[in-house]
Amino acid sequence: MPEIRVEYQEELEALEASTLGGLDLVSMALSRTMEAIEHQDVELAEMVVADDDRIDGRYLEVHQSLIALLATQSPVATDLRLISALLHILKNIERMGDQCVNICKVIPMSGHEPPADPEMLKTILTMGGQTRTLIAQAKRSFEDRSVEMARDLVRQDDVVDNLNRECFRLALEIGDDADRREWAMTMLLTGRAIERIGDNAVDIGEQVAFIVTGLFREFEDASRPS
Amino acid sequence: MFGAASTKRETEEAASTGTTPPAPSAETAAGAAPAVHANRGAKTVEAKSVDLFYGDFHAVEDVNVKIEPNKVTALIGSSGCGKTTFLRALNRMHELTPGASVKGHITLDGEDMYGAKVDPVRVRRLVGMVFQAPNPFPTMSVYENVAAGLSLNSKRMKKADKDAVVERSLRGAHLWDEVKDRLDRPGTGLSGGQQQRLCIARTIAVEPEVLLMDEPCSALDPVATLAVEDLIAELKNRFTIVIVTHNMQQAARASDVTAFFNLEKSGDPGRLVEVGPTEEIFTKPKQKATEDYVSGRFG
Repeated sequence: MPEIRVEYQEELEALEASTLGGLDLVSMALSRTMEAIEHQDVELAEMVVADDDRIDGRYLEVHQSLIALLATQSPVATDLRLISALLHILKNIERMGDQCVNICKVIPMSGHEPPADPEMLKTILTMGGQTRTLIAQAKRSFEDRSVEMARDLVRQDDVVDNLNRECFRLALEIGDDADRREWAMTMLLTGRAIERIGDNAVDIGEQVAFIVTGLFREFEDASRPS
Repeated sequence: MFGAASTKRETEEAASTGTTPPAPSAETAAGAAPAVHANRGAKTVEAKSVDLFYGDFHAVEDVNVKIEPNKVTALIGSSGCGKTTFLRALNRMHELTPGASVKGHITLDGEDMYGAKVDPVRVRRLVGMVFQAPNPFPTMSVYENVAAGLSLNSKRMKKADKDAVVERSLRGAHLWDEVKDRLDRPGTGLSGGQQQRLCIARTIAVEPEVLLMDEPCSALDPVATLAVEDLIAELKNRFTIVIVTHNMQQAARASDVTAFFNLEKSGDPGRLVEVGPTEEIFTKPKQKATEDYVSGRFG
């Protein structure tokens, strides 16, 4: 039998690509955010804040198109689960972008040459790099509909969580100098924001499992961590 | 349950009009309250290894399904997949086509509809059919249309009893308020949607246990369609309902259980591919063929 509804299928594929493209935007924003922290580059931080409009714009545009597709094409079965998942992860992506903005808004508060602790800075940068790996893996698991790869995000996210705990330990040991303590405080906020980006990547993995299995289950119960 | 076989004329008359005339019961014969007043309730229909043929042509192969009472079961599938043939087998209308035959068993609450001593007219009275296009009797009034099924076999029914059945049936078909002031006007003067509800009233007037509907909304506009769907949702409280529909959204909206029929290629017999809760069929079907069909990916 001939394949039908070709245009609808193509539109759905394009919307998926556009949504996942949002993860590339987030990955780039996070990369710039880390660079801005490393070099205390206030201008680059401002650029990240301004560029967040692109992520928000992507969210609004794709969201509207998905609603239109729901209204006009009555998608069911796998298509319906895909659209539901896309609506869900659009919000995750938008939140990830916002977390980069939160970090970048804090950067100018540390002054021109903040009294950075090299070990804590290195930990934060490692967290950023690991989280970018998570974002890339979330995207690939979605594209490949790989539940195995999606589930592995939990393990990858544990690395980020441990690094975040390490930041706390380092902050407690930072000493009595007021400036150093203030800088450490901003780094704690940064670590928390990066950790949340990782959590959003895991949420995207849960949506991959939903598309494939038809069942939504959290990979881990956040209220009762293992 | 089914009683003794009746005449061929009655069989054809019932089938061609879409009504299922009641067989005279001991109660009506004695002048007591007619049996049609008794609501026997919905029954389970079960098909076991059912094969359907038109002469040598094998139209439907090996269908096994249990159709639950007080639920709406939708039969979906592309044209020629055998869903309407199967529906017509559920009240022994399939055999009215010359050369048509049935193998296997179809039971109503465990009793074989195709048993040697079973009266097909009695089967069609217990298992009513509503057709694709509204087909009220053109020369009859609204009242007479609803009473037609009763009149065919219960001539001695009292006028007051008949009035009560007509009103109850029209109310049951959500039509009473619209036609109560013009019961003596021709049934064909009603709108398409009203005519279809009139046909539903005519079918339920004889208190069947199962209602079969063959694309009952395909000739109706969207508002009339939704009115009939609302009616179906209410009727399932009293009857077992089986509906054939080409409208995926109607199956999704109006049914509790969906059965998907398909055929591998033209000339092959249709088969029941998958049956399950409607929500599951439309969100996570088990078979790829079902997924492709409900998603509209393949015709």
